[in-house]
Amino acid sequence: MHVLLIEPDKLLAASYAAALERSGHTVAHAVSAQGAVHQADTAMPDVVVLELQLPNHNGVEFLYEFRSYNEWLDIPVVLHTFVPDRELTHAAALGRELGVVRILYKPETNLAQLCAAVQAAVPANL
Amino acid sequence: MQKIGDRAQLSSQERLFLGLAEQLSRPFLQIAATAELAAADAAAATSQWQMVRAIAGSSLQLVESYGLSLRVHGKITPLELEPVTVSSLLYDTTEALQPFAREYGVELELEPGPRLQPVLADRAVLQSAMTSLGQVFVLAQAEADEPSVVRLAAHRSRYGIVAGLYGNSTQLGADSLRRAHALQGTARQPLQRLVSGPAAGVFVADSLLQTLAARLHIARYRSLTGLAATLQPSQQLQLI
Repeated sequence: MHVLLIEPDKLLAASYAAALERSGHTVAHAVSAQGAVHQADTAMPDVVVLELQLPNHNGVEFLYEFRSYNEWLDIPVVLHTFVPDRELTHAAALGRELGVVRILYKPETNLAQLCAAVQAAVPANL
Repeated sequence: MQKIGDRAQLSSQERLFLGLAEQLSRPFLQIAATAELAAADAAAATSQWQMVRAIAGSSLQLVESYGLSLRVHGKITPLELEPVTVSSLLYDTTEALQPFAREYGVELELEPGPRLQPVLADRAVLQSAMTSLGQVFVLAQAEADEPSVVRLAAHRSRYGIVAGLYGNSTQLGADSLRRAHALQGTARQPLQRLVSGPAAGVFVADSLLQTLAARLHIARYRSLTGLAATLQPSQQLQLI
């Protein structure tokens, strides 16, 4: 499975990418919203793992941009973020409108749980 | 998207502690993730433990700097003023930041400038301030898409000796300082927290510099943006 990992912290990104690759996925990494759009174009991801706190543009802005393209409408997104889900007032709307299938609070999520969430996000035939 | 609750209702001290807690959760998470990987892959463990050491060291430095700031402000620790050569201080700061910057793939460049008069300062306080600031810059530069450089530079201006850190990240400069001031109690911007970048390190640096009668200010140096402190050379020291 192709995973687009949008993570501004390069040390965390290296750990997440290593764990996902060990689980059998290929990983394309972007540190910013702009870079992520470019990576999505070239990497053709099956699933996106997204941090909301990004440099310059936040993750929600990225999601609206991402969903504005027809070919990316159905790609599941796993939010993996330092923002507690209790602070996201429209978390339900995120799921409904922007295709967020899972919200993971980073400090409470280990690598194994992240890999499991990514695996579960995508239909079994992929 | 809006967030539940308004941080403006917190006291400035509560906001500061929240900011520090949020900033420190990142290195703890890095350590936890790195340790989880190292436990599963013995072959890669050596480099991962080096990473853990660099992350833990930088986090400890931030906490110690904040403690020093509180102790000096509260006069628990007296200032030890002495002649300090800014260029040598920036050299030591570069050395201290090197392991942390290396892990993030950020290059540090030192521009000590011409021979500058020493300033009257507490060397440990000034070094802590610059190192805390340096960590912020390394993190901000590491979030850039392009390979990145942090420049530590000193030069003379008409207002004094300017010691600063500079980079080409748009996260640096005004935005960092604004968020640091937000920790001190001024207004936060909507969705601000969804834009990454640590502010607590800038706050700690600014707080330490205040004990030396200096403040951080936005600075530009050779087309790079950054934050700097202008330090006054001592008239007495010119006689030494």
